[in-house]
Amino acid sequence: MEHTFINILKRCIIDPAYLLNRLAPFLRGTFCIIYYRTFKRNVKIGFPFMVGAKIRIIGPGKVYIGKRCAVLENVFKGLTIVTFSKDSTVIIGNKCALGGITIRCHSKIILGDRVMTAVSLIQDAFFTDLDKDIKRPIRSFAYEAKPVYIGNNVWLGADSLVLGGSVVSNDCVVGAGSVCFNVEFKEYSLIIGNPACKSLPIDKLLRLKGVL
Amino acid sequence: MRNFIAILRGRLFILKCRCFKKNIQIGKGLRIYKKLSLTGSGKISIGENCIIDGTKGDSSQHVCIGTLWPEAIVHIGNNAKLYSSRILAKFEVIIGDDLLMQEAGIMDTDFHSIDRDRNKPADENKDNCQVKIGTNVCIGARSFITKGVNIGDNVIIIPGSIVTMSIKAGGRVGGNPAKILNPVP
Repeated sequence: MEHTFINILKRCIIDPAYLLNRLAPFLRGTFCIIYYRTFKRNVKIGFPFMVGAKIRIIGPGKVYIGKRCAVLENVFKGLTIVTFSKDSTVIIGNKCALGGITIRCHSKIILGDRVMTAVSLIQDAFFTDLDKDIKRPIRSFAYEAKPVYIGNNVWLGADSLVLGGSVVSNDCVVGAGSVCFNVEFKEYSLIIGNPACKSLPIDKLLRLKGVL
Repeated sequence: MRNFIAILRGRLFILKCRCFKKNIQIGKGLRIYKKLSLTGSGKISIGENCIIDGTKGDSSQHVCIGTLWPEAIVHIGNNAKLYSSRILAKFEVIIGDDLLMQEAGIMDTDFHSIDRDRNKPADENKDNCQVKIGTNVCIGARSFITKGVNIGDNVIIIPGSIVTMSIKAGGRVGGNPAKILNPVP
């Protein structure tokens, strides 16, 4: 059964417990949209937005979240987005299921549509929170921030890190506990390892499974 | 304003340690932005002009430094910056000047053995399990440093790496287990 509006309405009429289950995150999400539109003008969230856990969006940068996104209820931490300067932008596409993800942005982080995340971390530079640190010449490259591009229909596994300069293409799967750093990955591949240098194509994996 | 409160909080903390806890020595110029907890009865000494803070957006993590025995020693040099990190010592953890540590952990022991009874591990001495870190070291987020590791000067440790072997001076290290990375063009 498709997840369309008419089917949801039908199910709500038949089953009132389902209606109550869906109503509370919907109302909390609209409250978040109104709050950010009045008090913090640099954050724009699309309607409708379902919120089951805590949300923290901090910093002077711009944040755009698409329509029909959801922060699910059965997760340890909620969504955390931190931007460090006025030029930094975070763009999240439509229909994303954002579990306890943490995003720390200096320059640019772009996520596509239908991204599914677990407790993971996306970080631009190696070290953040550096306003109290004096820049030493030996550490200069550690302050460089490279943009992160994540495509459509990507699944970020639990406890994974995506660091600056990496490009994760459409339909990829990032395995649990893997660290991606400064590499571009092909479409429809499985990314594992710490550090993750190679990726396995998923077509061949599925074909092998059928044979074995 | 925030700096002023941090300086005040640092001075009160130093006073409190001087009156009640004789095994802790802290140099002047400490600035505390988020909670600092020092546990255990071993010796802890922190250098001058240190900064203690948490990470932005994460209110559940703070800085914890602890010792398990009265004979354990933790020594941190001058100008250290700790952002919600954890240090635990059973024998000795000695860190040089100019440390930058974010959301990482340093642990001196295995705590339990691999045998079925999970008792204390048999082979651990001070010589095997000491952790020594040089000057000007940067430790990235969500990384871990295990027992018996000797890190040289000017080393950068990438976020998400787990360090099990000693590292020479002046390198960039990442992965699980941590290895030297190829230089980025």
